[in-house]
Amino acid sequence: MVLFDKGGRSGGGRGNNASSNRPFAFFRAGLGRDQSAQNRPILVLEDVFKYHKPDQPTLRGVNLTIERGEFVFITGPSGAGKSTLLDLVYRKQQVDEGRILFSGRDISRLTSDSIPYLRRNLGIVFQDFKVISHWTVFENVAIALEILSMSRRLIRSRVSEALERVGLAGRGDDVTGNLSGGEQQRVAVARAIVTEPALLLADEPTGNLDPHLALDILTLFEEIHATGTTVLFATHDHTLLEERAHRIVYIDDGNVKEARKGLTDWSSTRSADLGTASSPGTAAAARNNVVSLARSR
Amino acid sequence: MDLGQAITRAARGMRDEARLHLVAISSLTIAFFCLGATLVAMTNLDRVAERWGQTARMSIFLRDGASAEDITQLRMALEGVQGVASVQYVTSEDARTQFLTDAAGSTGLAAIPADAFPASLEVTLSEGTAHADRIAERVGSFSIVEDVETYQGWFRQLEALMTAGRSATTGLALLVLLSVLFVVGSTIRLAVTGRKKEIEVMKLCGASDSFVRGPFIVEGAVQGLVSAFLAIGLLLALYLGLHDRVDVVFSMLAGVHTSFMPPLLALGVLALGGTLGAAGSAVSLRRYLSV
Repeated sequence: MVLFDKGGRSGGGRGNNASSNRPFAFFRAGLGRDQSAQNRPILVLEDVFKYHKPDQPTLRGVNLTIERGEFVFITGPSGAGKSTLLDLVYRKQQVDEGRILFSGRDISRLTSDSIPYLRRNLGIVFQDFKVISHWTVFENVAIALEILSMSRRLIRSRVSEALERVGLAGRGDDVTGNLSGGEQQRVAVARAIVTEPALLLADEPTGNLDPHLALDILTLFEEIHATGTTVLFATHDHTLLEERAHRIVYIDDGNVKEARKGLTDWSSTRSADLGTASSPGTAAAARNNVVSLARSR
Repeated sequence: MDLGQAITRAARGMRDEARLHLVAISSLTIAFFCLGATLVAMTNLDRVAERWGQTARMSIFLRDGASAEDITQLRMALEGVQGVASVQYVTSEDARTQFLTDAAGSTGLAAIPADAFPASLEVTLSEGTAHADRIAERVGSFSIVEDVETYQGWFRQLEALMTAGRSATTGLALLVLLSVLFVVGSTIRLAVTGRKKEIEVMKLCGASDSFVRGPFIVEGAVQGLVSAFLAIGLLLALYLGLHDRVDVVFSMLAGVHTSFMPPLLALGVLALGGTLGAAGSAVSLRRYLSV
């Protein structure tokens, strides 16, 4: 059973018009072929449980809806389940209970043959970059398009475009292992966005970078988000949450609490769980509570 | 799987892991050399068997006093039998002369009288010993026939030798097959371990199993093919180098000239090399694809 669009695999992007040059345009805001799919939330988690040990679920009945074009921080202490949640979305792991709908399709029911087609609609960035150090920058980015069987000519132009977007224009021939950490993460971001995915997953992408570079990378993700891509950004770095007013999904002990507009809006969310009920209305208090909770874990 | 892309990526992989692939090709070449040498030996044994099979014969010893008319009748009857190529009448005197020629140098034998050697009909069989028993049975009913020698025991020994040779070749071929699978498998596993991250990245970017597997299968096939080609080349060089010296002895002993393996068999070995290499890769990759 193949549930996901395979259009890009056989010559996707070889056509003449703009939308056919984007093999997975189906999932992009405003460029879809299926109107009903565009109206659905891009990601819905319904009562999702994930057990790594019996009677000790990593995720406990998580309900979460991510709308198209949103930028969402997933935060929480180490071991809270942030990475597990992302793993479930790109099907590295399988849900034990509940379901996950990506563009309305239940990915927990995908067969292993269909998983590659799901992943071709996602861009994934990791803390450890996952770039091949002995490959050139170009090769590291181009691999995502080679998987789609694109022509060499199109791959060259799309890779150049992606490298320009991440600030690495003209660096295609550099050996990736010779780049700095920040630059390697930019290569990873370029690889993630070169296929124009509907959803960009970032699992602690700034975890190995100094605070200045971390902000640079966050800005890069925001620029990508500004072009219409939905971004799920997992981080436990509270300074990033303080910097930007995006929706925050806080995972603690497998449970989800959220704020719609960053830390400034934290107090208006289900803050009772975080102990902010006694001091509602002040952003600083809310921020302190989230930060202190994150630090205490 | 896009073959062009798989070949490009396989070339890159082999370039990156050149030393590993060279070691693997060396080991595989030795394995294919052993297989090739056995096949050459079998080719020549087959030729010997074929040659000797073609010259299968039987001797029909005649009673003393058999009339020329009876002998001619028997001879004509034999010539009409399926499986008989030719019939030659050997008188007692001819037999004695032949014996003395074969035993040249042995003193005292010349005193043996011609009567001691029965006259015979020497029958050359055209289809090996397949019809020997049937012919012997039919000929035995003639009153002028004293005894029939089919030399079956000797041919059975030859056949047993051939069967043993074929079994040894089959066993060796199986051993080579297993060693090729093992060497290719180990090499590809080493290559895969070194490129585990590449596989992970490709899988995370949405690569199908066949996309990931493609270059490794090409690498395995190239390893097997190149090794088989080198082994056959080495064997041919060795054969040509030793041919003059070995051929004289061999043709004197066996009655046939030595030969290298037929071209079709050589192509078969190449195809086997490629197929085994590809199969070894495919099998050893399975466990690395679950990302």
